[in-house]
Amino acid sequence: MIQHDILIIGAGLAGMRAAFEGISAGLDTAVVSKIHPLRSHSCAAQGGVNAAINPKDDWRHHAYDTVKGADYVGDQDSIDLMCSEAPQAVLDMDAMGCPFSREEDGTIAQRAFGGQNFPRTAYAADRTGHAMLHTLWEQAIKLGTKVYDEYFLMKITTDGGRASGAIVMDVKTGKLHQINAKAVCIATGGYGRLFASNTNAMTNTGDGLAHAMRAGAAAADLEFVQFHPTGLRNSGILISEGVRGEGAYLIGKDGQRFMQKYAPNKLELASRDVVSRSMTTEIMNGNGVNGGVFLDVRHLGRDLILERLPQIRQLSIDFEGVDPIDQPIPVRPTCHYTMGGIRTNKMGQSEQLQGLFAAGEAACVSVHGANRLGANSLLETIVFGKITGKDMVDFVTNREGRERPKSDAGDVQEVSAQIAQLKARPREGGAKQSDIRKYLTEAMQEYCGVFRSAEGLAQAMDAVNRAKADMQKVFVDDKTDAFNTDVITALELGNLVLLAEATVMAAIERTESRGAQSRIDYPKRDDANWIVHITSTVDPNGKLTLGRDAVRTVDNPQYAPAERVY
Amino acid sequence: MQEQTVTFRILRGTIVNDKLVQRTQDFEVPCDATTTVLHALEWIKGEIDGTLTFRRSCRASICGSCGMYINGRSRLACKTKVNDILAGNVAKNIAPAKDGVIEVGPQRNQPVLKDLVVDIEPFYAKVKTLDPFVQDGPEKDEHVTKDSFSQVNMVSNCIMCGACYSDCTAMVENPDFFGPAALAKAYRFVADPREGNKTERLKELSEKNGIWDCTRCNMCIDACPKGVAPMEAIVKLRSLAMEAGITDNRGAKHAMVFKDDIATWGVLNEPFMLLKTAGVVGALGQLGNALNLAKVGKIPNPFPFDHKVDKLDEVKAIYRELQENPIDVRTRSDDSGPGAG
Ligand SMILES: Cc1cc2nc3c(=O)[nH]c(=O)nc-3n(C[C@H](O)[C@H](O)[C@H](O)COP(=O)(O)OP(=O)(O)OC[C@H]3O[C@@H](n4cnc5c(N)ncnc54)[C@H](O)[C@@H]3O)c2cc1C
Ligand code: SF4
Ligand code: SF4
Ligand code: FES
Repeated sequence: MIQHDILIIGAGLAGMRAAFEGISAGLDTAVVSKIHPLRSHSCAAQGGVNAAINPKDDWRHHAYDTVKGADYVGDQDSIDLMCSEAPQAVLDMDAMGCPFSREEDGTIAQRAFGGQNFPRTAYAADRTGHAMLHTLWEQAIKLGTKVYDEYFLMKITTDGGRASGAIVMDVKTGKLHQINAKAVCIATGGYGRLFASNTNAMTNTGDGLAHAMRAGAAAADLEFVQFHPTGLRNSGILISEGVRGEGAYLIGKDGQRFMQKYAPNKLELASRDVVSRSMTTEIMNGNGVNGGVFLDVRHLGRDLILERLPQIRQLSIDFEGVDPIDQPIPVRPTCHYTMGGIRTNKMGQSEQLQGLFAAGEAACVSVHGANRLGANSLLETIVFGKITGKDMVDFVTNREGRERPKSDAGDVQEVSAQIAQLKARPREGGAKQSDIRKYLTEAMQEYCGVFRSAEGLAQAMDAVNRAKADMQKVFVDDKTDAFNTDVITALELGNLVLLAEATVMAAIERTESRGAQSRIDYPKRDDANWIVHITSTVDPNGKLTLGRDAVRTVDNPQYAPAERVY
Repeated sequence: MQEQTVTFRILRGTIVNDKLVQRTQDFEVPCDATTTVLHALEWIKGEIDGTLTFRRSCRASICGSCGMYINGRSRLACKTKVNDILAGNVAKNIAPAKDGVIEVGPQRNQPVLKDLVVDIEPFYAKVKTLDPFVQDGPEKDEHVTKDSFSQVNMVSNCIMCGACYSDCTAMVENPDFFGPAALAKAYRFVADPREGNKTERLKELSEKNGIWDCTRCNMCIDACPKGVAPMEAIVKLRSLAMEAGITDNRGAKHAMVFKDDIATWGVLNEPFMLLKTAGVVGALGQLGNALNLAKVGKIPNPFPFDHKVDKLDEVKAIYRELQENPIDVRTRSDDSGPGAG
């Protein structure tokens, strides 16, 4: 059995930032990642990271924008903490060597982003996440952080009511290892792959969240899933908001613009959720083609397209077979970010399972509430990676975490039996994982996506139940041990099925429209009943139960719920 | 391209008793104009044969997982369109596939673990030996300006996909060569004003398996999917090392002999090398007439030392020009500005 003081699952920005604290404090800290750290999805973030660095800005304004953007179900203590710590967190990254873009005078460059009253988004060219991830990886090498590259989380183990470590599989050999740790942090990212059209990496399957729930931690806010209006219709690859900024039109099958019906002033430049809802309405009313509408830039002219939008043009040609100079680009609202995650206090600790921590997109310290602001999630990873890392150090050195929990060798056997069972299932009469993935993600997209209703969600639940039944007979072709990606994708699918069920249940439960949750049958925000988090827990038999958790407030009258107008 | 069935010839591999056993297997895959090699592999894995093994994650050419050898070159599967390989694409420097077959195999210069998956450990081990992090030290300059990172930008585009390493010719001869990606990464630090030990780094890089082991075959530039141009970084490192007086090594001496030969005799055995280097550092324009003459073949004899060239004065003019107007070896890549969120 392997022992560490701190075990971090996930080597994206959140995990690597937390590891930095563990190592710097002199604790034996290890990171497990199913893909090489530099492959983590954090590398895909282009836009930037928010922080009130500019002396003319104020973190309180940033916090206000975030509370409002979250549609008043974000936790105010976490939001205040994140926004006040933001400048230092970004400066830390700069000091580590992150090549942020600069202003003329050498200060970190910042620009405007949606839903905020100040240009406070710092960036490193058009690869902010990539630059930050490489920087933290460089620090991990400098500090000699132990990283288990290409090790897959199979189970979070517990000792009584306390997390005791994890069972992981060395992907290269298929061998199982038991890791015992005094504190365990889940930083495994989001689960955007649950939706047929998404901007996410194929590895964003919510494994850590699903396993934390199985181990006894609560999840929260799972009903809140952010859809970006303009993903390419086939691949979901992101077409930047900047294209609409350049003057692109959204048009339907009939070739006419439609945004004047929904946002007569801001038109195509209304906020993300409004545009996504408008597009979906058009598609549902039969004004779409193959489940998408069109982003039209033809009127901008060839020269401007070639000069200002060369990358967008290339993406359209490469991934849709459409040259925007001659034809409109097929787009549809695309799953982009999952606000929900492992429910934690503002330091990133689970209240249900002692010794379990979470940070980044996998966590729900709830700084995003019902709707994330652009460039706040990279910020969340570096602020709460740091805070949670420090809190784990404190937990292990000064609190209950001083004592090492016990690991049970039975856990390895259990996981080993699970894999053996999966491999033993015959193809004959079995269920194919690609089929399950297809119908489940299509149903989630259609019935639990931009618009929801009781009937639609019932259909989504039918698909979930079918998937649960099919998972009992899912088979794999690859029966070998080494680098068995067939087994891994099947296990990831199992995690997605659990999260699908929890997401649909929470969406049914919340009988109002708020932020990313838009119920056709309950179109109004209902502050009297719904300024609260819905939590989801799994009992030992695998049964999901919903609960409630209060939204944490601070005494700030500015944070009182008001209508969200931009 | 209409929907059509395309043959994928995949080099499969398994380790049997510690030995790699490889064979090719054909799959017929439905493809259209938007199908990428990664889509096709996913389709095969999902619909036909779940044992097919490869790495992938972002599917948007930013994570570096899906490097493989596709029709004669290392490429990213997620960035490579089937149609481009079949029909060829001049703009992307792709020749049409022969027999209309897509051939996919694992990257080269690295041990194969299974099918299209190689062991990336040696590749990363080399990056790690070069201390890939900004260090404190005497040469640290805290003052950064708007274009301080214009040097850093291009090389920090690297996604560590290994394509350059896979196609590197020097690596075939010397498996211990650090390789293009690691050296490009090293340049990222040498070019960062905040780095404290630039000269120390240049010294290390000038040693065995370092910058002077590159044969300048250009393969890494062609292979790189992110425009990093590792060979350019290597050339810049060489120039910076020599500028810093780090000349007590075989490579630098070699270069100096070359330089003296040309200055004296007007010949060297790789006449195009100078041009290439000059082209790479983007200084041709500055050199004006003198180099233009060279360009149209005034350094005619590829075999050295047999005679002086006709117009030695012109060659000497090139050197004079270079001495008076030294080339800024640090080419610039402008900040590309913020992208999508
Ligand atoms: C296209 C795109 C653009 C974006 N742009 C922005 C932006 O401009 N600004 C912004 O603020 N946010 C942006 N986001 C969101 C932001 O990138 C993510 O929320 C953030 O990077 C998540 O970081 P993380 O550290 O929580 O997780 P990730 O970076 O996703 O890392 C997850 C880690 O967990 C590991 N892992 C997962 N499962 C397992 C397992 N079973 N076993 C072992 N390890 C496992 C993975 O290997 C990986 O290392 C964008 C997102 C997308 C999709
Ligand atoms: S130019 Fe040098 S580093 Fe690049 S592939 Fe050729 S030998 Fe390798
Ligand atoms: S330099 Fe280019 S080819 Fe080489 S690893 Fe980096 S991105 Fe890949
Ligand atoms: S899948 Fe990420 S680079 Fe191809």
